[in-house]
Amino acid sequence: MSKLLNSGGDEAEFAKPLYVPIKRRSFFMYAGATAGATALLLSSCNDDDDDTSMPGMVDVGSGDTGVLNYAYALEQLEAAFYTMVKAGDYYKNAVAAEKAILDDIAAHEIIHREFFKAALSTSAIKPLEVDFSSINFGDRTAVLGAAKTFEDLGVAAYNGAGQYISSADYLTLAGKIVSVEARHAALIRDLISNGSFVNDVVSPTTGLELSKSPVDVANAANMYLKDGFKINVGNIK
Amino acid sequence: MNIFKLLANLAEVDPEAYQRLSARRGMLSSLGQLSRKTAATALPLGVGAVLQKAYGRNTQTILDTFTLALTLEHLENEFYTKALEAGRNGTLTFAPGTQAVFQQIQAHEQAHVAFFQRQLQSSNAAVPAKPNFDFTGSKNGTKPALYADVFTNFATFLKVAQLLEDTGVRAYKGQLEFLISDNDVLQAALQIHAVEARHAAHIRGMRRALGANVRDWISKDDETITNTSTAAVYAGEDAEKQTLPGLPITQFPTDTTPFAVGPKPKVSLGEAFDEPITTGVATQLAGLFTF
Repeated sequence: MSKLLNSGGDEAEFAKPLYVPIKRRSFFMYAGATAGATALLLSSCNDDDDDTSMPGMVDVGSGDTGVLNYAYALEQLEAAFYTMVKAGDYYKNAVAAEKAILDDIAAHEIIHREFFKAALSTSAIKPLEVDFSSINFGDRTAVLGAAKTFEDLGVAAYNGAGQYISSADYLTLAGKIVSVEARHAALIRDLISNGSFVNDVVSPTTGLELSKSPVDVANAANMYLKDGFKINVGNIK
Repeated sequence: MNIFKLLANLAEVDPEAYQRLSARRGMLSSLGQLSRKTAATALPLGVGAVLQKAYGRNTQTILDTFTLALTLEHLENEFYTKALEAGRNGTLTFAPGTQAVFQQIQAHEQAHVAFFQRQLQSSNAAVPAKPNFDFTGSKNGTKPALYADVFTNFATFLKVAQLLEDTGVRAYKGQLEFLISDNDVLQAALQIHAVEARHAAHIRGMRRALGANVRDWISKDDETITNTSTAAVYAGEDAEKQTLPGLPITQFPTDTTPFAVGPKPKVSLGEAFDEPITTGVATQLAGLFTF
């Protein structure tokens, strides 16, 4: 310390920032600026030979916008699913408690979808068209089984996507949503079999929940999206 | 700021700090091997952490997050361990079939404790000892209890369990931003965060099965189980608006085009987003059960 205090010339000039309080926020801003600059630099030498996009796929994009669009795609899928559930015979004949639960979850997912749509504004991907022909919406087991698949997939997707987010604010926003998805997932599992809220998605030895890469999640999600609306997440890196 | 010049100077001024940073996940030596994003974002933050450590800046680092997380996991682990003991002693009667669930939850919390102990050890940081806990909230009998029958009344036990789990979910959420520079740790924190949310949901479901007015998510419509001491557990949780810094719109829903869905849009908007709590609030809440 004393060396810095006593030093002169260039060294003192350089040392100056060390004595100016560096707030965490400004570090984040600096980090963000660096990430942007690095992305620009790297884009010029990236020949995109790992691009897995196919004609007719919806490219969610790259950077934080890519991650937000990826989340938007998954929330579109979930919101469309619960909208179909509420139009189906299982819901119509369900007991009041289950109806209330499905009403609440459907509202949450629509809010999440609209939230990302609004947040992304002109950067948002187009509305996705779904294909739920494999799901029998008249059958409780089929509906809850599909709901479990979507909710578990959503949580694992957010768990695996956090690392691709550069902005601390967006990371916190994703965190606000993923725990609600985890609550949905636990409840749907408990409706299928009470007490199964963590079965096969949380390791009993590490206590960690599953995490899935964007590519793995997209492969699973694309099974429920029509041709021309399947998502390509290859540019999330 | 020229980050490499800063690092070079830092190495000269404080070689030990430089080496610690360097050793931590090989941040400096293997820049080329790191993902582009990690390299770009982790470096300035890592430097920030070292500067704070070396020069006493009072700003939160990843190690502070580990320390808070370890405290919270000790709290939960000990809570369930004590409850299961009370069950074996016959002083706490679990609802039929629920004991196995709490064994499962306790095992998760124990694994989380071990995880953060390992993280602190591998960072060459001090591993804090387990605090002394009093889950009645009487601070070892020095003040009136908040939950006197926590280990003799199953309903009270479930209430405290819900408060602890929801606190955990909110606390981890508040810590995510401090982990943004370390992808491995960030992912693990997210994986733990989701587990705590599943625990919270199931415990809320148990309370509902016993007649409580409560949902699996935090809702304005839930019956109140906090008092003045524990109000912070849910304070600010029912936000009906989300702010969107740096995005084309700054608020959701906007004031001019309010967004309405379902029969109770404001309640649903509050439920659809779990809100974070700060390190300070999380520490204060853990302190209610610590002496």
